[in-house]
Amino acid sequence: MSAAPRTQPALSRSLRRALVIIALLSALLMITVIGLLPLDGPAGLLLVVLPIIFGIYVVAGLIAWLRRPSNRMGFLIVVAGLMVFIGGIANTEVPVLLAIGAVGATLALPATVHLLLAFPTGRLSDRRSRVLVTALYATSLVLQAPEYLLDPDGSYPPFAIADVPAVSAAIGTVQTVVATVMMTMVAFVLWERLRRADAGHRRVLIPLFSYGIFTVVFLPLIAIALDRVFHVDPTVRGMLQFAVVAGIPIAFTLGLLRGGFARTGELEELGTWLGAAGISRQPLVDALARTLGDPSLRLYFWAEDRGELLDAEGRTASESRTDPRRGWQEIALEERAIGAIEYDAALLTDRELVHTAGRIIAIAVERERLTADLRASRRALMRSRERIVEAADRERRSIARDLHDGLQVQLVLLALEAQQIASAPAQTVAERATRLRIDLDSAAAEVRTLVRDLVPAALVERGLSAAAEDLTDRMPISTVFESDVSDGGLSDLVETTTYFVLAEALANVVKHARASSVRVRLALEEGRLRLSVEDDGAGGASMDAGTGLRGLADRVEAIGGTISISSPPGAGTRVWTEVPCA
Amino acid sequence: MRVVIAEDEALIRRGLELVLEAGGHEVVAAIGDADEMADAVARHRPDLVVTDIRMPPTHTDEGLVAALRIRSEHPGTAVVVLSQHVQRRYAKDLLAHGTDRVGYLLKQRIADVDTFLADLERVAGGGTALDPDVIAVMVGRARHSDSAVVSLTARQQEVLALVAEGRSNASIAAKLFLTEKAVVQHVSRIYTAFGLPPDADTHRRVHAVIRFLNRD
Repeated sequence: MSAAPRTQPALSRSLRRALVIIALLSALLMITVIGLLPLDGPAGLLLVVLPIIFGIYVVAGLIAWLRRPSNRMGFLIVVAGLMVFIGGIANTEVPVLLAIGAVGATLALPATVHLLLAFPTGRLSDRRSRVLVTALYATSLVLQAPEYLLDPDGSYPPFAIADVPAVSAAIGTVQTVVATVMMTMVAFVLWERLRRADAGHRRVLIPLFSYGIFTVVFLPLIAIALDRVFHVDPTVRGMLQFAVVAGIPIAFTLGLLRGGFARTGELEELGTWLGAAGISRQPLVDALARTLGDPSLRLYFWAEDRGELLDAEGRTASESRTDPRRGWQEIALEERAIGAIEYDAALLTDRELVHTAGRIIAIAVERERLTADLRASRRALMRSRERIVEAADRERRSIARDLHDGLQVQLVLLALEAQQIASAPAQTVAERATRLRIDLDSAAAEVRTLVRDLVPAALVERGLSAAAEDLTDRMPISTVFESDVSDGGLSDLVETTTYFVLAEALANVVKHARASSVRVRLALEEGRLRLSVEDDGAGGASMDAGTGLRGLADRVEAIGGTISISSPPGAGTRVWTEVPCA
Repeated sequence: MRVVIAEDEALIRRGLELVLEAGGHEVVAAIGDADEMADAVARHRPDLVVTDIRMPPTHTDEGLVAALRIRSEHPGTAVVVLSQHVQRRYAKDLLAHGTDRVGYLLKQRIADVDTFLADLERVAGGGTALDPDVIAVMVGRARHSDSAVVSLTARQQEVLALVAEGRSNASIAAKLFLTEKAVVQHVSRIYTAFGLPPDADTHRRVHAVIRFLNRD
């Protein structure tokens, strides 16, 4: 569990803390009970074994719990350990513990059956299993009762309410018969499960189930056989029995962690883990390798820009694809290949498992790709914003310069002239005043031009078509203007943006194109305003070559439009835009 | 003559009043928005309306719209439209139903008081006054596309522009330091180049020339 906690450290730490507490409390229980046992009695050291078995259950259960947090088997193993513990405390001499031990003396049996039927998910998946397990727990508790209620020499004399040992013995027989019938049914259910399981799972299920059934059904019988037939020393016999019981949690934990279905749970883990935010490629590969248990596993991602599969380090997969020792599993999402898993074919024989892992990984890979796309488009957006701000800034500076260098100077000179006229000889005043007026006229004309370039009067007064026509009217070369756009229906933003693209395109034609004619078209089609400016000049223009179109492209794109340029050398230039205006 | 002034900027409105009064004319109404214009014209029956294009409430082209209405509803009233900026389309709109009693000038022309008053009087007298700026646009445009205009000499193009502005031969002669006879000769060559029938009437020749310049 080295990679997973990195993404959910809080939850994972919390789980670990809880499990440590359980371990400590269990150890405390174990030590306490051992302290209370009459170790100098006839059974002697043999009594210590049951608490130790409890410890083995807890350790095995906690390992399963920690390694498979979303699987309930770990929890069930710990609970089964508790049942074993309850059976064991009857050996102490403390009255309360004796009472509890007497009531739950046979609980270890239903707990073991519970484990068997709940394997490997930890849940009783069908109704039959649930009924069987419930009935077994009930039998264990209810039919055990006569043993201490009806027999003053039974397991806990203070509970006895009648002295009929014969009845107690009879009910004990009934309990055995009922339990045997139920165990037969359990065996039947397990048999059915074995039949339905595939070969890989059967390899684990057969030994586990056999071990389980053997423990529950035959252990008592074998004990009798060893005692009566082979006359084995009771201490040795007891040790053998305990060893078999202690093997149960170990078998289940191993089955869970090493068996084929282990990975079903592990794949769930992987899915949960992938749901966490911020997974980059290398941890993804590590997680997959760990989940499938193949350290040589490699994960390839489809690189859209290069059109091939690359791993996290950017290497291609060409040579290993033909290697028969390596398995290859495509990862697809919505029928589109987005990556591939390359694995050790000898180690992972179950293609379906790799396929399933691929499906889980697909979502993460796709998300990673989408995140990259989103980041890229966000970066583009930021750059475009910056350029828009820069363009506005540049524009302001240029206006300031125009006003300062042109108009300001002119006004100072005109003011000077006005002052001089005041003290000029009377006969020259009329002529000089007229000249002053003419100079003021030209200053006003300059202001007019400046204002027209900033906010064209026609655009404000009428709209795009009128403003575009005015612009083309003033072109120094032959200009054809066609428009089927009637003014008044378009938003200011659409009109202004398109107008400035036209103004810039026409300025470029005049400055760079060496064209003899230009054709301007404005059209409104399917809710989109289309502008096209086409000249017959030298061509070779581009969006970036200082044409000023780059800044306008940002403005066009900011309102959801597109701008394109086609300018093959020697064949004229065409600039066209499309802006949504519905 | 009796004049109605429509101009939303108070300083310019007052300036116009002063200029007109100094020129010996009577300002019967000076108003600040286009809606009042129709009432003022109906009430005062002026000889001339001088109006700005951009006025309240929308500050777009209501002055022009009002001017066009006066031209159709009161054909006897002359209209001069003033603007910060002139364009061919507005000139075409104003001249759509004849070139008599109409003017379209840049606002800054007011400063050249004598010329301005002469233009207004010419319009009130049934003539035309188009701004040199808008005529330059028309001639410039025709020069790129019309071989007849291209064939004219530079001097003939100058004369053509002044004719289109609505000036008389005498005024053109004074402006270009030519004799009136020379002007008549230039005009006749222009007419020949344009394939127009000779016409001595100043008003009608403006119409013909403007139509020729604005053909597509």
